[in-house]
Amino acid sequence: MLNQWSTHQFWIGFLGALGIEARRIEFSGDTSEDQARQFAKGRGTVDCCYPVKCVSGHYGELLANKKRKIDILLSPMVYSLPSMLQGHVAASLACPRVMAAAENIKAGFLKERDSFGELDVRYVAPLINFDDRPLVPRQLHAALKDVIPGLTEKETAHAVDEGFRTLDAYTRSLRRKAREILEWCARENRSCLLVLARPYHMDPGIGHEIEVDLQAYGYPVLWAQYLPMDDDLMQWMFGAEIAAGQIKSPFDISDVWPSSYSANTNEILWGAKVAARMPWVSCVVRLSSYECGMDQPTYSPVQQIVERTGTLYFSFQDLDSTKPAGSVKIRVETIAHYLDKYAAQIVEKKKAAGAPDCPLLTA
Amino acid sequence: MLTVGLDVGSTTIKAVAVRDAAPVWQDYQRHNTKQAEMVLEFLARMEADCGLTPERDRLFLTGSGAGLIAPLVGGKFIQEVVAVSAAVEKLHPEVHFVSEIGGEDMKTLFFTPSGDGKSKQVYMQSACSGGTGTFIEKTARKLQIATEQLAQMPYANMTLHKISSKCGIFAETDANTLVKSGVPVEEIIASLFEAVVYQNLATLTKGNTPMPRVLLLGGPNLFFAGLQQAWRHHLHKLWTERKIALPEGAAPEDMIEVPSEALYYACLGCIEIGAGEAPGVGAYLGPDKLRWWIEEGQHEEKARDGAKGLSGDHAELQHFMHCYGEANASVVAPQARVAGPVIVGCDFGSTTAKAVVMSAERELLGSCYVPSNGNPIEDAKAILREIRGAGFENIAALGITGYGKDLLKDIVGADMAIVETVAHATAALHYFPDADVICDVGGCDVKIMILRQGTVSDFRLNSQCSSGNGAFLQGVAERYGVPLEEYADRAFEARAIPALAMGCGVFLQSDIVNQQRKGWSREEIMASLAAVLPLNVWVYAGQLQNLAAAGRKFVLQGGTHRNLAVVKAQVDFIRQKVPDAEIVVHPYSGEAGAIGAALCAIDWSARGEASRFRGYDLIESLEFTSTTNAQTTCNWCTVNCKRTFIDVRMPGGAGRAWSKVPLAEGWERVISGNSCPKGLLEDANEMKVVKETLEEAKRAYPNIAELVREDAFRASKATV
Repeated sequence: MLNQWSTHQFWIGFLGALGIEARRIEFSGDTSEDQARQFAKGRGTVDCCYPVKCVSGHYGELLANKKRKIDILLSPMVYSLPSMLQGHVAASLACPRVMAAAENIKAGFLKERDSFGELDVRYVAPLINFDDRPLVPRQLHAALKDVIPGLTEKETAHAVDEGFRTLDAYTRSLRRKAREILEWCARENRSCLLVLARPYHMDPGIGHEIEVDLQAYGYPVLWAQYLPMDDDLMQWMFGAEIAAGQIKSPFDISDVWPSSYSANTNEILWGAKVAARMPWVSCVVRLSSYECGMDQPTYSPVQQIVERTGTLYFSFQDLDSTKPAGSVKIRVETIAHYLDKYAAQIVEKKKAAGAPDCPLLTA
Repeated sequence: MLTVGLDVGSTTIKAVAVRDAAPVWQDYQRHNTKQAEMVLEFLARMEADCGLTPERDRLFLTGSGAGLIAPLVGGKFIQEVVAVSAAVEKLHPEVHFVSEIGGEDMKTLFFTPSGDGKSKQVYMQSACSGGTGTFIEKTARKLQIATEQLAQMPYANMTLHKISSKCGIFAETDANTLVKSGVPVEEIIASLFEAVVYQNLATLTKGNTPMPRVLLLGGPNLFFAGLQQAWRHHLHKLWTERKIALPEGAAPEDMIEVPSEALYYACLGCIEIGAGEAPGVGAYLGPDKLRWWIEEGQHEEKARDGAKGLSGDHAELQHFMHCYGEANASVVAPQARVAGPVIVGCDFGSTTAKAVVMSAERELLGSCYVPSNGNPIEDAKAILREIRGAGFENIAALGITGYGKDLLKDIVGADMAIVETVAHATAALHYFPDADVICDVGGCDVKIMILRQGTVSDFRLNSQCSSGNGAFLQGVAERYGVPLEEYADRAFEARAIPALAMGCGVFLQSDIVNQQRKGWSREEIMASLAAVLPLNVWVYAGQLQNLAAAGRKFVLQGGTHRNLAVVKAQVDFIRQKVPDAEIVVHPYSGEAGAIGAALCAIDWSARGEASRFRGYDLIESLEFTSTTNAQTTCNWCTVNCKRTFIDVRMPGGAGRAWSKVPLAEGWERVISGNSCPKGLLEDANEMKVVKETLEEAKRAYPNIAELVREDAFRASKATV
C-alpha cells in the first residue's frame, strides 16, 4: 500500500539481513473494495484522500490473517522517499497525508479497544527519511530495538545497507527493462505509452489497472518511476538544453517546476519532460485520485509539457473506490482510436524534431 | 394541561399528546409535501379529540419542517437529534447504538459510557437519497410493489445483487437492469435493504462500532421487516468479528430492538425535554397564524426568495434569441432519391436509434430515427428500413456508434464501430474545428468531453449520480402537460424564479412540489429547473470546477440542448465562469453521434476498400432467437448476470456445438445483458482461448507496472 510501492524491496532486503526471510514477511494484499468491506468496516477516517482511507482495510486484513498470524505490524511513516532525482531537486518529501496515514489509521484501531494488543501484535511506525541514508539506521534501530530484542546499531546499519542495495538493484532491473522496451519500439518503429501517476497507482485497487486495458490494444506501457536513466540517452534528450544553460543536468526540473520538494510530484514532472522528448512515447496517460491536493497544481503544467511536442495526453482524474467500468471502457476505446489514427504521425514528427542518432536506434 | 410533541418530517407528520405523563393521542400521516397544511389538520384534530387549548397547552416541535412552523403555532423548536436521544436515554438507558432512518435522511447515535455518565456521538446526513427510506420506496414504486407487500418482503436467505447504494436514481436503474435480466423482485428488494444498511454503516459510523443493545427507529426501520433482518444480519456479523461479548444467555436477536413506538421517538423526546422547560415555554398560540401563513404568508415569502427570471430583460432575451433562436437546424428531411453511393452513420442509443446519410463530400443528405425497443437487432432492422424507405439504395460505407455497436458490427457488416466519444468529438470538430469542450446532455446521461489536439483528452461521464440529465426536465414538462417544444417559451415568460437546490434528483422532485406550494407557477418552476441544470451538469455530475481551464469554445449538443431555456441557462452559466467564452449549439444537436459515425466511415472509405455492409435484403431477412435462462447466466463472478444469448442465422456462421446452449452451424451468437466485458465470453472454454490471446498480447507488449505487481513484494531474482 501507499509508499510501499516505492520501498517494497528495501524492506525485503532490510528484514532479510536481520534474519527475517521473505516468507516471514506478510505484505497486505492489493487494495480492493472487498478488502474495505471485509476488513475496514466502520474504522473510517476523516481523511479525504481515498488511497489513505484504504489503509484501514490493509491493517484489518493483516490483523485478520489467521493462517499466518503477524507479530509485528510495520507501517513506516515515510517522511522522504528514495528518488532518482535526488540531488537535482529541492527535496524528495513524501506526501504528508500519506506519511500521516500510519498515525491516522492506527487511531481507528485503538479508538474503542486496542485491536493490536488483543491480538498480541506490536505496532511499529518508524519515521524514516529515505533521502538521508545515513539517518535511516538510527531511525530504524530506535523503532525496532524493543520489538527485536538484542538488535544492535551495527546490525541495523548493515541491514539498511542491504535494504538499499536490494531496492537499488530492483530499480535498476526495471530501468533496464524499460530501456529494452524503448529499444524494441525504436527498432520496430512502434509506439508505447507512458503512465504519469504516483507509485501507488500501480495498486490495482487505486489505479484500477486502467493501463492494462490499453496494453491489450498492443502498446507497451512505461511508468515514470522506472524510466531508463543511462547517460547516452540522457545526453541525447537533454544535452542541448544543458549546453545552452537552460538546465543544469538531465534531472533538473527547475525549468518547469521550481518548487521541487515532493518526490512523486518531481518524478511526474520529469516523466512529462521525457515523454515530450521521447519519439516513441506517443501518448501519456495521467492517473490521479479523488481530490488529490498534491496532484491538482500539476495538471496544467504536465499537460502543457507533454502536448508541446504533439504527444497525446489523456487524464483519468478523481479515481476512487469504484472502477468506473463503463466510462473507463469508453475512454480506453477513445484513446485506442486516436492512437490508431495519430500515433505513427506523432512518432515521425517527434523523431524529426529530436536530435539525430538516437542511442536507442544504434543499440 | 396537554404537552404535545410534534415531528414535522420530510415525508410524514407525527404527533404525540400527553396529559400528566399519560399519552392521550397519537397519529402519523404522510403529508405529500404539504407540511404546514397537515400540521394544521393535526392541530384541529387534537383540539377536537383531546381538547388542545391555546395558551394553556404546550407544543414542542422537531423535524426538518419544524423551524418554520414552530413560531407560527407558538411551539418551541427542538433539534431532532437532540429529541431522539432524549427519548432513547429515558426509555432505553441500556442502548448503545441507535439508527434512525427517515424518508429523506438518516441518523446514527452512539451512546458510550464515560465516567459517571454517557458520552454521545451523533451523525446525520440529509443531502443524498442513498441510505434513506426514499431510496427503497422509489424503486419499489417503479417495480409496482404495494407498500403493504413491501413491508413484508424478506431479506434473510435471499440471493443478493449489486445495487448502487449511493444514489436512489441509479439504484432504480440497477433494479431495472436486474428486472430485465429476469431477477425476481423479491431479490431486488432484499438487495435494496442490503444497500441501505451498507450505506448507513459505511457513511454514518465514522470509526465507532455499533455496540449492543441496538435500537432501530423511524418509519423504514419499523415498517420493513426485510430492513430489520438486514440490520440483524450485519450487526451479528460485526459483533462476531469484533468479538463483542453479549450479556450472559442473551441471543443476538434480543440485542436489536424495534419498539412499536419507533415512529414517535422524536415526539416523545420533545415531550421529555419539554417537561424540563420553564412553564409558559412553547405555549400554543392557536391555529390562526399558521392558517394565515398557508393562505397568504408563504406567497409573500415567495416574492422575497425569488431570483431574477431566466430570460433577463427584454433586450437580453432579444439578443439571446438573435444568437441562438435559429441555432437548432431542424432535422434534415430526406432528399429526393440519390442514385450515387452514400455514407450512413447510425447511433444506437438507449431510447432511440438515429441515422444520418451523408455524401462523400460530407454534406448531410438526410436523417431519420426510430424509438429503441431494447433489442439491438430489431433496432438495426428498423432504422435501416427507414433509410431504404427514404431512397438511399447504394451504401458505400457504414459507421455505427452507441451501446449496440460491438454487437452489431458483424451482423450488419459495419465498416467502423466507433466509440461514442469519438463520434461526438468528430461531429463537433466538423462544424467547429476550434472547439475546446463538448457538453452533451442526453436523456439519461451527461457527457463532458475536453478536446485537445483534435482528440478527446478528458472525458466525464456522469456515473455516480443522476443529477443533471434531461429526462428530469422532460418528466416535469409532461407532468405539467407542456409539450417539450413549448418548454422554452413558457420558461422565458417567468419574471422571477424560485431557487432550487443543486444536487440530488430525488430530492429535487420534492423541492419542486414544495416551491409549487409556495405559489410558484409552472412556468416559473420550469424556468428554475432549466436554470439549475448547468450547475448540476458541470459541478455536481461533471465534477468540473474550473471551466476556464477546460477552454473557451464550448459546444452544446445532445437532445436536451434543443430546449432553448436550457441553452440560455448554459450560456449564462458558462459566461459567468469564462467571460470570453464562445458558446455554440451543435446545429444537429440530437444527431451528432450519427453524424460522427458517418464522418468516421467517410474517412474509412477514403482508403478505397469495399464496404462490408451486408445489404438491406439480407439484414431485413435476418432470423434470430433470443434465450435467457439458467444456462445463459454468467458464472464468472458472484454478480451472476442474467445474460441473453441472441442467435442470428448467418451464412457461414460457425455455430457453437460445445455450448451449454448449443448452436448449429450457420448461426452466430451475440451475448447481451452482461455488465462487464468478461461476460461476453460464454464459459471457460471460450475464456481459455481469449485469455491466451490476451496473455500473448501482454507478453508482446510489457507493462512495467505488471512487473512491479508480480515481483516487487517478493524476494527478487534481480538481487542475487
